[in-house]
Amino acid sequence: MLKFLKEYWRVFNRPSAYIGLGTLSLGGFLAGIIFWGGFNTAMEFTNTEAFCIGCHEMKDNPYREITSTIHYTNRSGVRAICSDCHVPHKWTDKIARKMQASKEVWGKVFGTINTRDKFLEKRRHLAEREWRRLKANDSLECRNCHDFEFMDFTAQSPRAKAMHSTELAGGDKTCIDCHKGIAHDLPDMEGVPIGSAYPGREVDPEPGWHSAGQAVNTDLPLEPWQLFLAEKFQVALKP
Amino acid sequence: MKMKYFRIAVLSFAVLSASVLWAEAETSLNASAPDGIRPGGTLADETKAPDIPETVTPIKKPMRNYPDQPPTIPHSVEGYQVDRNYNQCLSCHSRARSPDTGAPMVSITHYLDRDHQALAAVSPRRYFCVQCHVPQHAVEPVTSSNFQGIEKVLEESLNREVNQSENHNNGMKAAE
Amino acid sequence: MTISRREFAKANAAAVAAISIGLPVPASASNLITNRDLTTLKWDKAPCRFCGVGCGVMVATKDNQVVATHGDVKAEVNRGINCVKGYFLSKIMYGSDRLTTPMLRMSNGQYDKQGDFTPISWDQAFDIMADKFKEAIRETGPESVAMLGSGQWTVFEAYAGSKFMKGGLRSNNLDPNARHCMASAVGGFMRTFGIDEPMGCYDDIEHADAFVLWGSNMAEMHPMLWSRVTDRRLSFDHVEVVAMSPYQTRSFDLADLRIVFKPQTDLIILNYIANYIIENDKVNHDFVKKHTRFARGQDDIGYGLRPEDPRQVNAKGADKAGASTEITFEEFAEFVKPYTLERTAKETGVAEERLERLARIYADPNKKVMSLWTMGFNQHTRGVWANNMAYNLHLLTGKISEPGNSPFSLTGQPSACGSAREVGTFSHRLPADMVVTNPEHRAKTEKIWKLPEGTIPDKNGFHAVLQSRKLKDGVIRVYWTQACNNIQAGPNLKQETLPGWRNPKTFVIVSDVYPTTSAQAADLILPSAMWVEKEGAFGNAERRTQMWHQLVSAPGEARSDLWQVVEFSKRLNVDDIWPEELLAKAPEFRGKNLYQVLFTNGNVDQFPLSETAKDQLNDEAKAFGFYLQKGLFEEYAQFGRGHGHDLAPFERYHQERGLRWPVVDGKETRWRFREGYDPYVEKGSGVQFYGHADKRAVIFALPYEPPAESPDDAYPFWLSTGRVLEHWHTGSMTQRVPELHAAVPYALVYMNYDDATELGFRRGSEIKVISRRGEIRARVETRGRVKPPKGLVFVPFFDANRLINKVTLDATDPISFQTDFKKCAVKLELVSLA
Repeated sequence: MLKFLKEYWRVFNRPSAYIGLGTLSLGGFLAGIIFWGGFNTAMEFTNTEAFCIGCHEMKDNPYREITSTIHYTNRSGVRAICSDCHVPHKWTDKIARKMQASKEVWGKVFGTINTRDKFLEKRRHLAEREWRRLKANDSLECRNCHDFEFMDFTAQSPRAKAMHSTELAGGDKTCIDCHKGIAHDLPDMEGVPIGSAYPGREVDPEPGWHSAGQAVNTDLPLEPWQLFLAEKFQVALKP
Repeated sequence: MKMKYFRIAVLSFAVLSASVLWAEAETSLNASAPDGIRPGGTLADETKAPDIPETVTPIKKPMRNYPDQPPTIPHSVEGYQVDRNYNQCLSCHSRARSPDTGAPMVSITHYLDRDHQALAAVSPRRYFCVQCHVPQHAVEPVTSSNFQGIEKVLEESLNREVNQSENHNNGMKAAE
Repeated sequence: MTISRREFAKANAAAVAAISIGLPVPASASNLITNRDLTTLKWDKAPCRFCGVGCGVMVATKDNQVVATHGDVKAEVNRGINCVKGYFLSKIMYGSDRLTTPMLRMSNGQYDKQGDFTPISWDQAFDIMADKFKEAIRETGPESVAMLGSGQWTVFEAYAGSKFMKGGLRSNNLDPNARHCMASAVGGFMRTFGIDEPMGCYDDIEHADAFVLWGSNMAEMHPMLWSRVTDRRLSFDHVEVVAMSPYQTRSFDLADLRIVFKPQTDLIILNYIANYIIENDKVNHDFVKKHTRFARGQDDIGYGLRPEDPRQVNAKGADKAGASTEITFEEFAEFVKPYTLERTAKETGVAEERLERLARIYADPNKKVMSLWTMGFNQHTRGVWANNMAYNLHLLTGKISEPGNSPFSLTGQPSACGSAREVGTFSHRLPADMVVTNPEHRAKTEKIWKLPEGTIPDKNGFHAVLQSRKLKDGVIRVYWTQACNNIQAGPNLKQETLPGWRNPKTFVIVSDVYPTTSAQAADLILPSAMWVEKEGAFGNAERRTQMWHQLVSAPGEARSDLWQVVEFSKRLNVDDIWPEELLAKAPEFRGKNLYQVLFTNGNVDQFPLSETAKDQLNDEAKAFGFYLQKGLFEEYAQFGRGHGHDLAPFERYHQERGLRWPVVDGKETRWRFREGYDPYVEKGSGVQFYGHADKRAVIFALPYEPPAESPDDAYPFWLSTGRVLEHWHTGSMTQRVPELHAAVPYALVYMNYDDATELGFRRGSEIKVISRRGEIRARVETRGRVKPPKGLVFVPFFDANRLINKVTLDATDPISFQTDFKKCAVKLELVSLA
């Protein structure tokens, strides 16, 4: 066995004697393109809705919930698919997100959320991860479509106009601060700050009425690996 | 051969008379009647279903019929999450949020428990807003309403009083 | 500085006028009316006109008009809050199309079934009614006349109607529309406990640790009780709510445990839980030994369809549906054994973990459980069974008749309990749980009514669904309905109800307040007074009897149903409608009319006008010259006093926010059958289910049986019908409140998004909902408040323009004869995409 491996290595390591260097380089180049294209195509496939809802965990839970929302069905038929909001468009960010997603595959294999009840149990955890990510990247995926620069305030409701022209414009708030739960049901929101409640201020008691008056932190801490990735791939990170 | 024609004739007569009878039966089921929510004389018919109307967002909040009436919701609440986990209405209408959002704060009555004691937060008995507050859609009323608000009743009452006292005075004058 | 009253009035009038037309107020006038004479409103209590919860409302009147309503803070039921319907009560009486004069179908001045409605006088109306009633009884006997009453009748109206039909016309063909609503609950109570109505009360809500909703959507149907459940659940972390239904409803929004099961498989879940309790040794053996016995119910009992229907012909137990045989606990345990977790999960489509969690709630001796149900159980071809089986769980664990442990059957109508059940307006019943087939019960009734022996017929009359069939068959010739809308609410409209009403052999009288679909199908329309236009009493779901005064006058010629029955009884002479042998027994009645026999009998007319409230209206008392309501009430109360149905003296109900019967020594009863709460339980016995002679409740062994009609290839969808929060029943009152109409304008077909996509529908598409019996057209809603699973559609029945009962099946529970409006098979066809 060892002998075989040694022989194999020897052949593999020997300079080419029969193929020209040019052919070799060109072949390598083409192979690279094919490999690269194949890789990206494969990765693009993992971005399709069909792929995402290929497993019932996704189809029966988050997907079913989005079907009644404006991001799924609306006047003009422009709609978002899973990857529009949950996968960054920039390649480096995308790779980072895909690496994270490998954990979801792990979850799939081991049946971490293979029932509705398990999903509901984990919903707060899952939601927090997405809120944290979107907070960290300044709601990048929202902004891929909803560009602040091109918002027509005159076409917005007075309340939306007031919020967007101040807190959003000033960078005090990012989309996800106020627009939680727009595409999927919210988990138990006990302790989660709503809208523009700022840190240090007593949190509005009503939404989490069973902890009336309990103060909580606005910003959820980032996990170390998120900080690492954010740094590595220069993802916009809001203080 | 003749038999065949005869059969056809009998058959077509049967079909014809059956359809006449049927038509008569339908007319009878649709006997004339005063219009209600359903137009009179249409019970056996199926009419075109009206479109699902849009929610109304009035520029001015509608006046309440009487002070005790819960205000209707002057905007759409489609997709609003109001469940055990979260009350989206309060994300604008709560005491803490209403100054920022400009939405009216929930009424103080909503802080009272069953025994009329004020709680630190909105009473859970009022948790499901849409039990009392409902959005409005762009539809015409099915019939007009003769309900008169207190202003109108008071006005009529006062007019009556004025007329009565004038009549009374006139009567007095006439008597003089 | 004095200002004359006249000047003041003038100035204020100008101010008010200015306000009301939106003009600026002249500087000289005060724009706020402060004069106490003018701003004082007269406030009186009344129960809400709508559902069975029985909320208290305060009604403000000014100048003979209702000007405001709000929740009564003193009312124990709702403590100051109402649902949106209750808040708009002020407007239900003021639709511009109120009926104000009797109308008869006429051609050329004569009655004609095919004629047009023509206004006539009350005299003319009663003339033709008397002719028709007398002719039918003379020619085809009292079986050929019938009346459909209501759980919205006041207690007085129901009692007068019962006397009129059973004691006067001698026909048991009187049934309330509550047949569609509460009959299975009654059957359940009578079989298990031998006495009707819940042992517990709403106070259970504040004591329970878990709420299990069996099919009930309380969030929409009983909003103010839901508010109490919500209060309890959200205020205390240990409390759990389980929502169970064949489709997701608003009640799921509060639920900790959500269970969407396949239609009809609630029976399997019920037996599974019983099995779980036994197998895990959670039976309260002491309680079971002392207070219960076991019985095996008859199975294969059919579906209450017409006798020639193959489903009836093939049912072996159809002729003895209510029968049962005694068994032992061990036999019961053996009977439920096959209802295993695996089988239950497989047949119901519910995850095993959820089923087990539910079973544990019942099995845990430290958890107080309140089970709640309404039409999911009652409108069920095995409705009585489902009621029995729910009691099984509470009896096996002893979780009953004490604060927080409560199997609770909710009601749908404001007086389903008071007027339909307690008064006994069902075709088989007499007051205080008595039945027409029992000679002693008839004798007792005849004695109180002062009628000769043998007046009340000994055979059950036609129940509501049978009435529709008998109209179609021409057996019933004169039919009078009051305070109900059976054309819209009854099942299988196209094949049974409507052809019956329009049968040339029948004469149909409808007493109503608006031109409802029933009024439109009638031959004679009588305009009725409603709610606070008459003095009344309702009995709610927790045995609470509530009274109110007449606060305003009815419009035009409209008269209360009570006045109509009592006044019309003057037109019928006993010599014309009673047989000679009966008259021979009571020669003093010869030559007398039913008014004299039934209402001026020394009981009903014993209280003079002077006893009516001085500052309140009472048009009926004035019309007849005595306190009619009090007389009826006191005669009626004789039935229940001393027999477990005690009512307080009449006056007390005008002072209290209702009292829960039995009211003994001035005290109401909150928990029946439990010593210390219920005066009828003997000292030292702890618990006594005294409805049965042996003072035991019955635990019934009953199997799962399939529904009358299930989806197949041709009709692949389940259809379930019901209500929405904003409208009450057939919408005749709520749709005329502009705000409620604008809140939910039309009935929609609530369906699953995937189903819609597969069929090529979208939200808003117009489709046909078609069954073997009829079809309707309506729009698709995939994002509505009701979220059906694949394979089921839900259509509410409030919309007069979308008569979903053209589609439903008139299959009934064979014991209770209540229709299953929740299950039939339909297909869906696209009419237009948008």
